[in-house]
Amino acid sequence: MKHTLRSFFSICLLMSLTFVQAQETTPVKSDPKTTQTEKIIPATPLPLVEINPTAKNNDSIPVKTDRYGVRVGLDLYKLTRALYDENYKGIELVGDYRLTKKYFLAAEIGNENKTTDDDRLNFTTKGSYIKAGFDYNAYENWLDMENIISIGMRYGFSTFNQQLNSYRIYNANPYFGEVPVIPSGKKFDGLSASWIEVVAGVKAKVFDNVFVGFSLRLNRLVTNKEPENFSNLYIPGFNRTYDGSFGVGFNYTVTYFVPIYKKKIKPVVVAKKVEKK
Amino acid sequence: MKNTFLFLLFFAFTFSSCEKDDICDANTPTTPRLVIQFYDFLNPSVLKNVTNLKVVGEGMQEGIVFNTATGNAKYLTNGNAISIPLKTVGTSTSYSLTLNSGNVNPALVNVDNIKFDYTTQELFVSRACGYKTIFTLNPTNPYIHTDAAVADEKWIKFISVEKSNLENENETHIKIFF
Repeated sequence: MKHTLRSFFSICLLMSLTFVQAQETTPVKSDPKTTQTEKIIPATPLPLVEINPTAKNNDSIPVKTDRYGVRVGLDLYKLTRALYDENYKGIELVGDYRLTKKYFLAAEIGNENKTTDDDRLNFTTKGSYIKAGFDYNAYENWLDMENIISIGMRYGFSTFNQQLNSYRIYNANPYFGEVPVIPSGKKFDGLSASWIEVVAGVKAKVFDNVFVGFSLRLNRLVTNKEPENFSNLYIPGFNRTYDGSFGVGFNYTVTYFVPIYKKKIKPVVVAKKVEKK
Repeated sequence: MKNTFLFLLFFAFTFSSCEKDDICDANTPTTPRLVIQFYDFLNPSVLKNVTNLKVVGEGMQEGIVFNTATGNAKYLTNGNAISIPLKTVGTSTSYSLTLNSGNVNPALVNVDNIKFDYTTQELFVSRACGYKTIFTLNPTNPYIHTDAAVADEKWIKFISVEKSNLENENETHIKIFF
């Protein structure tokens, strides 16, 4: 857990760097000629020009457009975990589709193969999952920025199997000595679970159409088909289960945005306050 | 919005630091011991205290510890109930029960042997506790009661099986009348 926490913090730190990257703008080169004004002496007084107030209209605000499309990518956390954790293999594809200015349809599909080695149990969980739901972007972007700070919901469903590799008998009174680890190899097939997730996430455009983001998830089990004489201590997509029905999740994604169409943003009409008497 | 985010973050960290369920709680019912109560043979409804009873498992050098006293006294009990563990590996456990153990008068020291026969079943408890073993005493011959090598009269007069399914320690499984 300590390692998870440490890597979590380092990822947060990494994320903050990408934010800085995202905020960077190329400096506008100023024309050196315009700055040299001292030596220019007007030869003649400036001619009178008729002021036409209507001509000023050409610097009106350009019409802002929002891009709509599909964002697809994958979870780097699951992918890279296989490199340092030999007991874990997993992949998660993520995607979302912009429905309206603020709402996105979002989904994740994944597959996991995890061996959990606890003090008293060693078991392998294999299975796939799908999560579908929406994200609400609560971040008001400036200009043409497309960053997202979102909160959303998912409904997750997973089918999987568990294999109990070995176990120990708990005996509070080991008068005859501690019982050694008992190998098992028993397999529990056809298990399933579903849950609801509350997702808080951030996505930042790093360049062009590439986004990086991370999300934190709080899960609550809805259904859980438990094996006989064992328990779903790990559920693909849901992660570790606790005594209650809550769980937590996390992902770190890199996504590519495929624009499909653009929509003009209607200028916000500020209604004049009507004075009440 | 910001508050919700912070709230979720707080929750995520709360959960990540919760590793308490990795330790098996002592109150969780796990592998049960055999609970024996002692009764008066002449007055079978009345509990009777044993005197300096020592219980030693077969093949073991030391007896079961019954109290926090020091020296040999910790192996002795003077109560009317004992709880003794059964072997989770195998299907039988033998105990020698010595009454008046350590008494200076060797005529009073009386040893009886009881062998319990049973079948075991392993049940899942939790992540922290793993599995537990529950026992079912053999329905035809739950025990074999013999006298020790020294042929004195058996001090145990009668053994009654109250509960042949040993699932927890909240009930009496065996009654011994003496």
